[in-house]
Amino acid sequence: MDYTKQIQDIAGRLFSENKIDVFIGYRNTGFDENQVPVLINQYKDVDQLLFTDKSVFNLANYLKYEHTRNKRVGLVVKGCDSRALNLMLTEKQVKRENLYVVGIACKGVVDETGEMAQNCIECVMPDAVIFDEMLGTPSGRREYQENADVRELDGKTLTERQEYFEEVFESCIRCNACRHSCPLCYCAKCCIDQETATLFQGANTTSSAFHALMTWSLHLAGRCVDCRNCEKACPSHLPLHLLHKQNEKVIYGNFQEHLAGMIEEDRGAFYKYSLSDPDDFIM
Amino acid sequence: METEVKEKIVSIEKPHLEAPADWQPVIMGILCNWCSYAGSDLTGTSRLQYPPNIRIIRVPCSSRVDPWFIIKSLQASADGVLISGCHPGDCHYISGNYYARRRFLVTKKLLNFVGFHENRVQFSWVSAAEGPKFAKVVSKVTEDIKKLGPLHLYKKENI
Repeated sequence: MDYTKQIQDIAGRLFSENKIDVFIGYRNTGFDENQVPVLINQYKDVDQLLFTDKSVFNLANYLKYEHTRNKRVGLVVKGCDSRALNLMLTEKQVKRENLYVVGIACKGVVDETGEMAQNCIECVMPDAVIFDEMLGTPSGRREYQENADVRELDGKTLTERQEYFEEVFESCIRCNACRHSCPLCYCAKCCIDQETATLFQGANTTSSAFHALMTWSLHLAGRCVDCRNCEKACPSHLPLHLLHKQNEKVIYGNFQEHLAGMIEEDRGAFYKYSLSDPDDFIM
Repeated sequence: METEVKEKIVSIEKPHLEAPADWQPVIMGILCNWCSYAGSDLTGTSRLQYPPNIRIIRVPCSSRVDPWFIIKSLQASADGVLISGCHPGDCHYISGNYYARRRFLVTKKLLNFVGFHENRVQFSWVSAAEGPKFAKVVSKVTEDIKKLGPLHLYKKENI
């Protein structure tokens, strides 16, 4: 999967026709062919851009910052990124007329070990769902699979799960990188920071990590698109996808097979209801 | 001489931590203003007994309950949480409890996934006319939590 040439052509064309102010893409860091996102403002920088199977980050995240607000932006989206972008559009965080979206028919990106990432193996929609221009041949929607890690943990006892997650929450350093890297966490003031001024809540305790991560994952339930930007950003390498995939599993199984961001004007599983939703857990 | 042997109260999550013999659970009750809060009021005015372990917070509707409230209650001093609203179809705001129901299911499953016993967080529908049901629900929840013992998971520490 290498769309470097096409993306450079498109970005160059858009700049020369004066259709965009900023183009968001990937560039090489020079170390181990690792890539970082780059914001390009002028035509002469276009040859920095590239796209290979190491282009792992979700570029929709950069639409929530000042650099791109109220500007005409071109960006590259893979399948998962386009679902996040779809939700951002539905939640009125960005304007469609300001965007030029280059969709990718994604074949999967690699993780740190160089093999195909887990979320790409389990991906339901590898092609961009929203685009102005499509690169590659779409392969269509795939069947939903339950996450392998969640299934493995579900098979364990309550005590084993509790011990596992206590270790997870203990390793969290409360840097909030997960929140900043999430395209759908755009609130100017976040509720988990409410007590940061006091000593205990903002401090790095297991309790505050539990509070922050659980609240964060429940506020993203029914909206998370499984791009795993949070996990890539996490300095402690926490398995944050477990919380999201567990929520996704419950939502997919109980609420009419709902998946976030697949269609336009769909705000997420918690913004609608059905009379036949499960009720047996309520007294 | 016969001595009364009391059963030890231990936390299900942390069995090595023993609670004092006179330990009583603290249950956070979040009730909707239009049905369950009026129902609890009816329980009182009908002079029905229910355990005093519940601390009640009144909210406008059960859909006002953010999953955040449940997490914050568990993180503070509560040993269990009871959330109660109108029966499906009876919501004062027409559909609030349908939205709430979805959130509750996901919250309950996620808390169970990270290691909380499923009885720590419970939900009920209680209408304004169901005073006896409210007394029964609170008794059941209190009994359940007493069986589980104090909650020692992720409690706030002062540093």
